[in-house]
Amino acid sequence: MALLEVKNLDVRFAVRGGDLTALRGISFSLDKGERLGLVGESGAGKSVAAFSILNLIAQPGYIAGGQILFEGKDLAAMSERELRKIRGNRIAMIFQDPMMTLNPVLTIGTQMVEAILAHRNISKKEARAIALDRLQKVQIPSPEKRLDQYPHELSGGMRQRVIIAIALLLDPEIIIADEPTTALDVTIQAEIMDLLLNLCEQENVALMLITHDLGVVSQVTQRMLVMYSGRIIEQGPTREIINDAQHPYTQGLINALPQMGEPGERLFQIPGSMPSLKNVPKGCPFHPRCKFATEQCKQAMPEYVRSGNVNVACYEVANLIEQEKRMQEAES
Amino acid sequence: MTSPLVSIRGLEKRFDLSGSLLEQITFEGGRFRRKQEAVHAINGVDLEVQKGEALCVVGESGCGKSTVARTVMGLLSPSAGEIHYDGQRIDNLERKDALPYRRKMQMIFQNPYASLNPRMTIQQTLEEPIRFHHPDWSQIQVRDKIHEVMHSVGIDQDWGNRFGHEFSGGQRQRIAIARALAVDPEFIVADEPISALDVSIQAQVLNLLMDAQESRGLTYLFITHDLAVVEHFGTRVAVMYLGRVCELADTKTLFSAPRHPYTQALLSAIPKLEDDRPNHIRLKGEVPTPVNLPSGCVFHGRCPYANERCRQEVPQLITTDGGTQVACHAVEEGRL
Amino acid sequence: MTTATVSRWDRFRESFFWYSFKRDKVAIASFAVLLLMVLAAVFAPLLAPADPYDLAQINIMNSELPPVGMSGADPAFPLGTDAQGRDLLSTILYGTRVSLMIGFGAVILQAFLGILFGLLAGYLGGKVDAVLMRIADVQLSFSTLMVAIIVGAVFKASFGNLMFGEIAIYMLIFIIGVAEWPQIARTVRASVLAEKKKEYVDAAKVMGFGTRRIMFRHILPNTLSPIFVIATVQIANAIISEAALSFLGLGMPETQPSLGSLIKSGFDYIQSGSWWITLIPGLVLVVLVLVINLLGDWLRDVMNPRLYKG
Repeated sequence: MALLEVKNLDVRFAVRGGDLTALRGISFSLDKGERLGLVGESGAGKSVAAFSILNLIAQPGYIAGGQILFEGKDLAAMSERELRKIRGNRIAMIFQDPMMTLNPVLTIGTQMVEAILAHRNISKKEARAIALDRLQKVQIPSPEKRLDQYPHELSGGMRQRVIIAIALLLDPEIIIADEPTTALDVTIQAEIMDLLLNLCEQENVALMLITHDLGVVSQVTQRMLVMYSGRIIEQGPTREIINDAQHPYTQGLINALPQMGEPGERLFQIPGSMPSLKNVPKGCPFHPRCKFATEQCKQAMPEYVRSGNVNVACYEVANLIEQEKRMQEAES
Repeated sequence: MTSPLVSIRGLEKRFDLSGSLLEQITFEGGRFRRKQEAVHAINGVDLEVQKGEALCVVGESGCGKSTVARTVMGLLSPSAGEIHYDGQRIDNLERKDALPYRRKMQMIFQNPYASLNPRMTIQQTLEEPIRFHHPDWSQIQVRDKIHEVMHSVGIDQDWGNRFGHEFSGGQRQRIAIARALAVDPEFIVADEPISALDVSIQAQVLNLLMDAQESRGLTYLFITHDLAVVEHFGTRVAVMYLGRVCELADTKTLFSAPRHPYTQALLSAIPKLEDDRPNHIRLKGEVPTPVNLPSGCVFHGRCPYANERCRQEVPQLITTDGGTQVACHAVEEGRL
Repeated sequence: MTTATVSRWDRFRESFFWYSFKRDKVAIASFAVLLLMVLAAVFAPLLAPADPYDLAQINIMNSELPPVGMSGADPAFPLGTDAQGRDLLSTILYGTRVSLMIGFGAVILQAFLGILFGLLAGYLGGKVDAVLMRIADVQLSFSTLMVAIIVGAVFKASFGNLMFGEIAIYMLIFIIGVAEWPQIARTVRASVLAEKKKEYVDAAKVMGFGTRRIMFRHILPNTLSPIFVIATVQIANAIISEAALSFLGLGMPETQPSLGSLIKSGFDYIQSGSWWITLIPGLVLVVLVLVINLLGDWLRDVMNPRLYKG
């Protein structure tokens, strides 16, 4: 059984003039110790997906349907009290902005000890020892000193290390990291990503990494899912998708990277931009930007088809697979 | 080599942190002292931009790359040093004398959500600069010019009487580019023009900038933190660290044979699609604050090759055999 | 171009402004009451049964008649009469007119001074900012009313009662307008400081536009929403200030009464049982100020959704 299994998750936002569908029919699973990447552009719903797992979507968002099974129990149906036992304890979150997690008026040590005591029945001294151990794990220089410092005394990269230490405090099963390095410089980003990767491997923690950066996903994760307009359009092993993307959007996203183009030549570009949630087109949401779009694409959202180990929602891919099958049949 | 279009000579910029005279006085060790603090954003930068090229300035936050851009455009005045355009010194001109250069030099900003005036329609945004710089033009000439720039950046003529907030980030950046192009500039400073945009939109805007360069013969000073973009877009690259240029080279040379230890670390940190496992050069610590600059080479605190000389003496840019200019004692001494 | 052209009216009807107005019952009610009062005041000469400024229409025999429904009332005077025998309804209509004129006039003057000084201080900064804001601080450290009383008293003494009566309305607009400009100047300065850091201002500078153009064409329109909110509340404040000054005898003369001077004129008779002369204009004043303030609150919520009530 998978550690976390999301089945047919629908998330909506209640706004004036009716509901907006932020996520539609999201299904994926995460195994113990696995590293999964959620990729998409802003507005694709990747952060909403991450937040909805712990039912942390802000008003007016709500879970409209589907299940979020964590060790077989449905998080979507749990009470706030039961959820609190899981948040930060079994499933930890890392945000893009460290100051979302850190309280500016409390020392790092106080915050870490409090977080432990909220879930464990141990003495303050023991809690402090755990806190110190985690700070050592994230390779912060002079960790004892950091315990008595305030968040503003630390640099950006150091703060993000503290955040990772806090996420690790209670030996969680899953860490959900929402753009953890976007606000950091490239050299610092590389260090933090290395650290996160190594820690997850050492401690056998599953990682759900939300990012827009395909480079990071390709280096850190084993499986990835690509989101567009609140839907998963492609999911499978990272290497397979990066090397041979099936969905035209994923292909476009990869080919549009400056490192994929010839220096000095025009880059591959996907025309247009992602529709806002207010006017998602009928059928496949990508069809207005897709060069393979047919009448069929404008009618209904395509079902997932399997190509290798990858699941893709695209009529064009489905047709190609169908053709191949027929050719093989004809040959045999 | 022909004379450069823009040359930056010995540029320095400090931002005073200490406030008014009263705020500077502190009570320390039993007596009053006047304490002055400043952020040393740029500490002696020399750069030349050749006509027709795209000179990219890269570096991490706080390295002074944006300050260079803003000083070149006259949004900030230099604490020391000079800016020359086409042989003419421009950093000390009166507003009236600077007007012709305002037309020739334009700027594209990072945040398309803030760079368009929210109370102006697209038509007004594009029309104002044209009318301002060509007061003698007729209504038809102005209209034709607006249509021409709108067309060349790929925005719809119908958008004219709508406001900036009705558009997506990519569309807004197109409008901002159209505004810059409306006065027919020769030289464009682009300050992180794509870093606020989504991946698929970044490609569109980069293509647009390249098309404009080709069709209008533009020269760019392109500020960015994204080395992948530099490799694609730049003719030459200047790598900055803590307000100094540490390496300056042709894009190809820099990416194939980076010399400065900082450039090497920066290059190895780009997440590439090909590798499975990251293999970064690790730097010690983080960028120090530009308030108290380290002595000697600004990079010595994080450099694996630093020795006593690096801690004492500021390295100057030297030209190596490969044509790369690099400011590093280790390279000069052949240690690296 | 025709297909994409959206008229201002369409834009307005689709706006959040209109949407939130439609849903807010308090805002609608306040607006309706205010509109009614403004219309009644503007068309007072047509609506009022009598002209309180016309001495020929006043008969002292009719003084202190109670409102309709009480014993001794005269149906010709629905709200009764005041101590001089003027029809109270007409006097209140004319008085509301005077109060509103002073309120709006003072705020227009405040806004003019406040916007000008606020823009200059915020955009130019440095010494200009220091000097202007210190002046504002000094002025704010006096109570508005105190300044107004001193100036009013000096004027009254130097011009004499008769002359003062003629110019009273302009005097009050001037006194209240000048006394309260720092409120608006500070708001403007704060939003200018926020706006001038934005890139569209840099873009305008890069275009070579002059300081005046950038200040008035680019920055000013973006600072208008907070000014609008403050100005609304300031109208209510100006009306109250005027009422207070009139109550102290430094405002409108009894020959052209404002709501404040009506309240004062009735106050002397409240002991003798003629409560209506004070109470009815007092109620009108309270309602007027209340609806303006409610509208101001609603405006603040709409224009700055981040600042919730409370």
